[in-house]
Amino acid sequence: MEPARLVLSSAPHLGMRSSSARMAWLVAAGLAPAAAWGIFLFGVPAAIVLCVSVGAALLAELLSSFFLKKLTITDGSAFLTGLLVGLFMSPSTPLYVPAAASAFAILVVKQSFGGLGRNWMNPAMGGVLFALLSWPGSTSRWTGAFAARNAAALPPLVALRQALPSPTGGAPLSVLAASGYRWSDLDARVIAWINTHVFAGLGTALQPGTFDMLIGRTPGPIGALSVPLLLVGAAFLLRRKIIRWRVPVFFLSAFFFLTLALGGIASGGSWLSGGPGFHLFAGSIVLGALFAASDPVTSPLSSRGQIIFGISLGVLAFVMRFFGSLGDGVAVAIVLGNCVVPLIDSRFDGRATALSRGRRE
Amino acid sequence: MNASATRGGVTTYNGELALLMSLTPAIAVAVRVIDALWMAAGVVAVLLLSRACMSLIVRAGNPGTQKDASPPQGRFFSALIVSSVLTASFEILLMSADPEASASLGIYAPLIAVNFLVLSMTRAVDSGTSMGRELADALGRGIGFAACLILIAILREVLGAGTMTLFPVGQFSGVIAVPGLIDDPARALGLAGGGLICLGYLAALVRLARKRRLASGTAGESSKDGPR
Repeated sequence: MEPARLVLSSAPHLGMRSSSARMAWLVAAGLAPAAAWGIFLFGVPAAIVLCVSVGAALLAELLSSFFLKKLTITDGSAFLTGLLVGLFMSPSTPLYVPAAASAFAILVVKQSFGGLGRNWMNPAMGGVLFALLSWPGSTSRWTGAFAARNAAALPPLVALRQALPSPTGGAPLSVLAASGYRWSDLDARVIAWINTHVFAGLGTALQPGTFDMLIGRTPGPIGALSVPLLLVGAAFLLRRKIIRWRVPVFFLSAFFFLTLALGGIASGGSWLSGGPGFHLFAGSIVLGALFAASDPVTSPLSSRGQIIFGISLGVLAFVMRFFGSLGDGVAVAIVLGNCVVPLIDSRFDGRATALSRGRRE
Repeated sequence: MNASATRGGVTTYNGELALLMSLTPAIAVAVRVIDALWMAAGVVAVLLLSRACMSLIVRAGNPGTQKDASPPQGRFFSALIVSSVLTASFEILLMSADPEASASLGIYAPLIAVNFLVLSMTRAVDSGTSMGRELADALGRGIGFAACLILIAILREVLGAGTMTLFPVGQFSGVIAVPGLIDDPARALGLAGGGLICLGYLAALVRLARKRRLASGTAGESSKDGPR
């Protein structure tokens, strides 16, 4: 292998001690707790969806390595892309959807642009967006796997959208309560216990559903259910300096404050009534922010660039969630954000542009 | 000589794939095969007739000599007028022949005039070339454009809608349902982005083929992969 090619091929090699293969496998390990929770909640269907999406990604990588004449299947990035695609899927989606999304992610988004490090769009998010645009019905099919194991057949966010605009308005959990959304029995027991023993004295009460939302015992994309488990995986990766903290932190903060201020108005309520907590726990925003937006290949190199990128993603995700129609808007926000990364890099990182200028020669 | 001019129009000067020009029809129109067929027919007809007219106009000013009669600056406007008239005629014909296709072509049918200008402007009409060569070149460019448009439309309609819409004949409604794809097609390919993706891959294939041909022409050198 030519050394020059190695140095100039991809952004993560800059200042990184670990190889990109090691990084990919560690990120996959960081996703494992959330994936395991998804499989635990939804059983075999979720496991099958994950297997199909990972298998399709590996197969596509193998196929493309014939054309690129370079075997890249062992670098772990195809496995990681397939896993991420699967984690964004509903466990009751028809199996050709994750398969096509993974294949699109690898063949079109990654390998067509020259393979790992040269893709300008996060492959997994590109694949998920392709599935959302292609099969709007099948990607939002929430029956089947859920009906057996959960009281509610719809993810909280979808149920909230269907309930709005409701005459009651107000915070998301009260809208859901008013629309007759069903939480689990465990949630009812825990909330009742906390309300009588802790909050009764304070003159306040927790909304039903708080416990379910907190631990992720809700229908939804396989990997996005449990925010605490996602944070555990991300903390492990942050400790090993594999994901950059600025992108997810500024992404989620911008989204939090926008939702707090304007989310209520967007759904027919008043100022400062958006229920940002609910919106952080519902949908796939935490999964996307921690594991897709922070992808070193498709996020800016400089610290300032990462902050700007994170904030733009937060704004885009807010707009797409409250005014868009593509799922919960996370995938499309990240893909749109990826488009402007070269622009951010050219403004905020002299080193990056010098490198790319050198590469052109 | 004329055959090589035609071949050059299909390959080297292919507006869509080689020069990346006139892309909007490929993205906007090539969603149903029948629309692409009509569009292709219109472009080929307008290209051929306009070039024939232009060739006559250029010659007409000064019959018998090979010297240019009309100044080149004026030629652009005469080409615009000629192609606009022919395009308008095609539009009226299409409206009576297939109102549905006419409706779905929408603004892109009148824009054939623009496509003509874009597809022809890489090659200035001058009185030195024979009418036969002019027509051969126009035919090549028209066929190149038409083939590309139809290919993209087939790809996008089959994958993106699970159907293939052709001319209705008798009992046959003109719509062929593709088994396996009709139930849940990949709708993204029917969107504008899907058109760009198809176009991109076709252009890449054409470039790859050309690179292979160049590489085989200079066999013996280590140009198998070329610069990345």
